[in-house]
Amino acid sequence: MKEKLLNMKKKIKISDLVPFIAFIVLFVFFTIVSNGKMLSAYSLKLLLEQSILTIIAGCGVLFVVAQGSIDLTVGVNLALAGVIGTHVATITGIGWLMIPVAMAVGLIMGLINGFVVSKCKVPSFTISIAMLISVRGIVNYIQTVIGTEYIPGDMSFITNSGVKIGAFIVIVAIIAYIFEFTRLGRYSQAIGENETTARFVGIPVSKMKIIVFALSGLMAGVAAIFSLATVGGTSMQMGVFLEMKVAMAIFFGGVLVTGGTSAKFYKVILGSLSITIIVNGLSLIGMSDSQISQSVEGGLLLLILFITIMTSKQRKHSAGKLAAANAAETDGE
Amino acid sequence: MNNEVILEIRNLNKRFGPTHANKNINFTLKRGEIRGLIGENGSGKSTLLSQIAGIQRYDSGEMYVNGEAYEPHSPLDANKHKISMVMQELGVVGNLSAGVNVFLGRTGQFSKFGIISMKKMNRAAQEQFKKWNLSMPPLNQQTDGMMIESRKMIELARALSVDPDIILLDEVTQSLSLNNRRQLYELINRLKEMGRSVIVITHDIEEMVEITDSITVLRDGEIVGEVKSSETTPDEIRMMMVGREINGDYYRADMTPDYSDEVVLDVKNISVPHEISDVSFQVHAGEILGFCGLSDSGIHSVGKAVYGLSKLSAGSVELKYNGLSIKKPTDALRNNVGYVPKDRDNEALMIHASIKDNFCLPSLGELEGKVWLLNPAKLNKLSNEMTESLSVKCTGIKQTMDALSGGNKQKVNFGRWLAKDLKLLILDCPTRGVDVGVKAYIYQLIKEAKAKNIATILISDELTEVLGMADRLLVMKDGHVTREIRRDEDFTEQSVIGVMI
Repeated sequence: MKEKLLNMKKKIKISDLVPFIAFIVLFVFFTIVSNGKMLSAYSLKLLLEQSILTIIAGCGVLFVVAQGSIDLTVGVNLALAGVIGTHVATITGIGWLMIPVAMAVGLIMGLINGFVVSKCKVPSFTISIAMLISVRGIVNYIQTVIGTEYIPGDMSFITNSGVKIGAFIVIVAIIAYIFEFTRLGRYSQAIGENETTARFVGIPVSKMKIIVFALSGLMAGVAAIFSLATVGGTSMQMGVFLEMKVAMAIFFGGVLVTGGTSAKFYKVILGSLSITIIVNGLSLIGMSDSQISQSVEGGLLLLILFITIMTSKQRKHSAGKLAAANAAETDGE
Repeated sequence: MNNEVILEIRNLNKRFGPTHANKNINFTLKRGEIRGLIGENGSGKSTLLSQIAGIQRYDSGEMYVNGEAYEPHSPLDANKHKISMVMQELGVVGNLSAGVNVFLGRTGQFSKFGIISMKKMNRAAQEQFKKWNLSMPPLNQQTDGMMIESRKMIELARALSVDPDIILLDEVTQSLSLNNRRQLYELINRLKEMGRSVIVITHDIEEMVEITDSITVLRDGEIVGEVKSSETTPDEIRMMMVGREINGDYYRADMTPDYSDEVVLDVKNISVPHEISDVSFQVHAGEILGFCGLSDSGIHSVGKAVYGLSKLSAGSVELKYNGLSIKKPTDALRNNVGYVPKDRDNEALMIHASIKDNFCLPSLGELEGKVWLLNPAKLNKLSNEMTESLSVKCTGIKQTMDALSGGNKQKVNFGRWLAKDLKLLILDCPTRGVDVGVKAYIYQLIKEAKAKNIATILISDELTEVLGMADRLLVMKDGHVTREIRRDEDFTEQSVIGVMI
């Protein structure tokens, strides 16, 4: 009997399988209803290309979510980094400056977020919302003043999809390594699991918070370069709604809002692909009307979150149940 | 004590899947009786109590209260039969105020047109604390930031507020320090005088023999014996619990302090506002320095301050072996210092993470290879080795901590520091809430650390533990060190208590 129990516990957590199942179900479903159009080389390439931005930005946000925080500024940081990067390159006439400037702008924005969250103890959600609004305002103002700008001619090689995909693979590999195989990833998970514990063990919690927000900003800067490479220049639509797409991808991938050890690198990739499949799949079957597809996206996210939370109930500590039972006592006097 | 039976249990059985948690339990409790319930972790004590309290349903069997069939289907039902329970795991709602927590679920009585009068409720709560002579926390404050002790008091007040005939106390004393424990003993005596019955679970056997009328011993879900407290000894109980004799070396046998002259830690005049003031001491290599005192004496703050967790308003904490001073926990972690906090589940462990994650956390710096690589093979090796050498009962290193018993959790919490090359180890109540078997094992580990020349600071609410292990003992009162006693001096409970109070 004891062995039976052991075997039961050894089985993989169902909650870890949900994102895989969701991905496969979505893929098969849209393949069937689109009469196999989903499997065409063009569609698959599109799937990857459209996921790139979400994955790159998600790479940074994953660290923040692992710590139990959230960063909803990647979209506006991307826009600011892209606008300033191209402008500096344009006015100086030095094309390659676009890349370091965009990354530096992202990094600085991330550092500001990190500093406010870590030192001023402002909840990350609050600072995110504030920055989301104010930075978008700044970006829009700059763009109305300087107008649309294009990437410098000598930088046009970055629009080549071979270059893009090569750079993408290298970047993803580096971030995956940092998240899964270095202390930064582990410590971030520990902070999400229990911040008090992390502090009591001796992990530099405030430093870690600043680092991950800075990293998230930096990745937004990198994503800005990919965005410019795809579009060819700046636009008013740069990074709009990206923060939501990234957050959806991470949660869709099976990371809990509380972060911790539920945060895994593969979940970002899987979640991003799933989200893109939904969007592409809906347009493949003719539901390209954005209002309908958006509400379907939202509904699916709700469903997946629900399943993830239900299947991860094993995480709930029995003390919680007892406390709840106790709390419910003698109601109705 | 009169002989009227208030609670009778016949042939009660409870299973959790394949685990037979309670086997054919037959149990009678008399009016005004103080009954102890003891057994190793996982022997089914808490399960039995939670069935009496209506938190869990039993599979088969019968219960009678005052001769009438009693089948509680909720804690509410149990309360109606005048039975209430204080649970081992903390049962207060963190973001509600202390006053609300006392009347949780019963706030209706203070409302008019749906609006609750906080004033009335707090007044009623205050009455409960006064009536039962419990130390009262600030009633308007959220319970989240409170010490375990205050939270425990709130739970006691809640259980007592239903004016119970039978009150069930599951491991209440382990969270309390000496003065609050005494208050609890007085309370138990008073309940007895009032003709109320109490069932107590505690791992502190000496304490149990002292405060109860009789003791029921459980092993593997079965009752293996029932004895009168006045006719038994702690050793006899220990033997009944584990089913064999426990070898004599529980604490240290020698009565001479034995450590090297090398100073490892030099603490000079440290103060933490409202907690400790002007505390100085040194710890030597191979020394166990004990700290004891009442709840507000500041003993637990000393541990935190040394590990860099408190902001010092004055003084310094210096490591003599490298001349560095500890200003923040990172300094301590990097410089061969370990810290086992008192509140295991909230301050020490990542309760939802795996055994492996918990084992490796303090050692990640040492495990790091080239290009910051944390090789998974290395992490697995460390966790497997530690799990084996500490004989942690688990299904594997990937199992999550919340599935482990208290004793095994503590093995991980303590043991993970032993994987490191430590010079100084700070232990705050290292045997809190673990059974005799694990307790003896932890003392063994402390002795081994001493033999390895590690300097140990042992902070404890259990006086017998500090007296049994320490080379020197610092007694604290109101944030000051009031006396230092060496092992070969007047090293007795009486002399220490005299200084503590």
